[in-house]
Amino acid sequence: MATKTLDYPVCRVSELAPGDRKIIEVDGKSIGVFNVHGQFYALRNICPHQFAPLCRGKITGTTLPSKVGEYLYAREGEIIRCPWHGWEFDITTGKSIFNPHKVKVRSYEVSVEKSCPHGDEEEASVETFPVSVEDGVVTLHL
Amino acid sequence: MSKKTFHIVDTDIHNTYADGKEVTKFLPSHWMGRIQLPNNCFSPSPARGGSRLDAVTPSGGAPASDPDFLMEHHMDAYGINYGILTGSGVLAVSIHCDPDYGNDLATAYNEFTVEKWLSYSDRFYGSIVINHTDPLAAAKEIDKHGANPRFVQVIMGSASRTLFGQRQFYPIYEAAQRHGLPISIHPGTEGRGISGYPTPSGPVTRYMEWHNILPTNYMAHVNSLVCEGVFERFPELQFVCIEGGIAWLPHLMWRMDKNFKGLRASTPWLKRMPSEYILDHIKLTTQPIEEPDNPRHLSQIFEMIQAEKTVMFSSDYPHWDFDNPHAALPPLDDAVKQSIYYDTAAKLYGLPARPDAQGE
Repeated sequence: MATKTLDYPVCRVSELAPGDRKIIEVDGKSIGVFNVHGQFYALRNICPHQFAPLCRGKITGTTLPSKVGEYLYAREGEIIRCPWHGWEFDITTGKSIFNPHKVKVRSYEVSVEKSCPHGDEEEASVETFPVSVEDGVVTLHL
Repeated sequence: MSKKTFHIVDTDIHNTYADGKEVTKFLPSHWMGRIQLPNNCFSPSPARGGSRLDAVTPSGGAPASDPDFLMEHHMDAYGINYGILTGSGVLAVSIHCDPDYGNDLATAYNEFTVEKWLSYSDRFYGSIVINHTDPLAAAKEIDKHGANPRFVQVIMGSASRTLFGQRQFYPIYEAAQRHGLPISIHPGTEGRGISGYPTPSGPVTRYMEWHNILPTNYMAHVNSLVCEGVFERFPELQFVCIEGGIAWLPHLMWRMDKNFKGLRASTPWLKRMPSEYILDHIKLTTQPIEEPDNPRHLSQIFEMIQAEKTVMFSSDYPHWDFDNPHAALPPLDDAVKQSIYYDTAAKLYGLPARPDAQGE
């Protein structure tokens, strides 16, 4: 059954610079909206492990799979680490780094809208939410 | 799933100071206000500092340095009735190269605990910090606070140059038993200061390796306490293993019992099977709870160690590996959960009865 998507203006684009985040309350849910290299993403602010406020964690990069004894650090700005236990999540998908197929946070769609933002709900693990920009307005689609 | 709301005693809360002067003002002046303890020698943790990022106080202070915020952010937020304060960063007094400094800093820290924390709220209970490398001085420190009912246990770092069953520690155990106080140990100092390497085969390379293997030191101490006859010598002594894991205990009990059947002639002072001393004298705290893919596997381990009398809930607030009291425990009967959350700690520490306990 199709569910109705609700659109919420978050802030102006100029108010959420690359690397920044904004945590908002929408429809009784705490949601983090992120600007990652100019693209906007939204995640539910609850870690699936022990329900920590995930979106208050450090925005960082991560180490890619590598040979023994070798470090390949990459994806700076695309990863959030839970402020409690340090679990890493991909901000752009809501999927965890250690087990992307099973451990995720809900994500939502985000866009930049000129006037009236609309978007589709996105299925994801860590709850992520759609966001758009409208007339310079970052808009969350819930 | 049970919807029951449990009363909770948190047996490991790491209160600290906002400004070092809160502690150093109690130090003898010849130390010139220094707080200097041995640092970690392994590579740093990727989990930032040691604390939850969201536990920084509203004024930007160190996590758990503000009693108002600790009460709001932790005690009230999670419905915790009472908290056992275990201090922060101070257990390295026992592995400092200078025992005089270790003794004085332990003394100063206990004064700080009384002044800042125990006077703040009746919901906080304290732990008497001691320097275990100077057992006679440690016993005096226990005697100093032993009559204060707001101190409910002795605490010492689990890293040591010698195993805790050895006779040199008797003055500590005598003092603790004299005042009816449990002895607790807490990890974090392994591989630092004058302690040995954190494993019998030398140092670990990374923080994760170090953290993973801390329970081996707990196994060694529990083994030593039982085999050396500490609990025959001090029959009232209770020993609390904070933050050292749980799932290793069945293995240790079974191995000790098996060996005792053939090797008991070397420890004739043991009147019972080794595991019986463990079940009667050793308590474990839950955090960091083991997280098997199938949570019921941990439930089975809890059953093997009579968790209703041996395990107590702890959160480790505000540290990075904090456990949420409402998410950490494996599936268990409500009665077992209530023992873990409240009753065992209340009995051990002499805390007020559970508010809903009337008629039970």
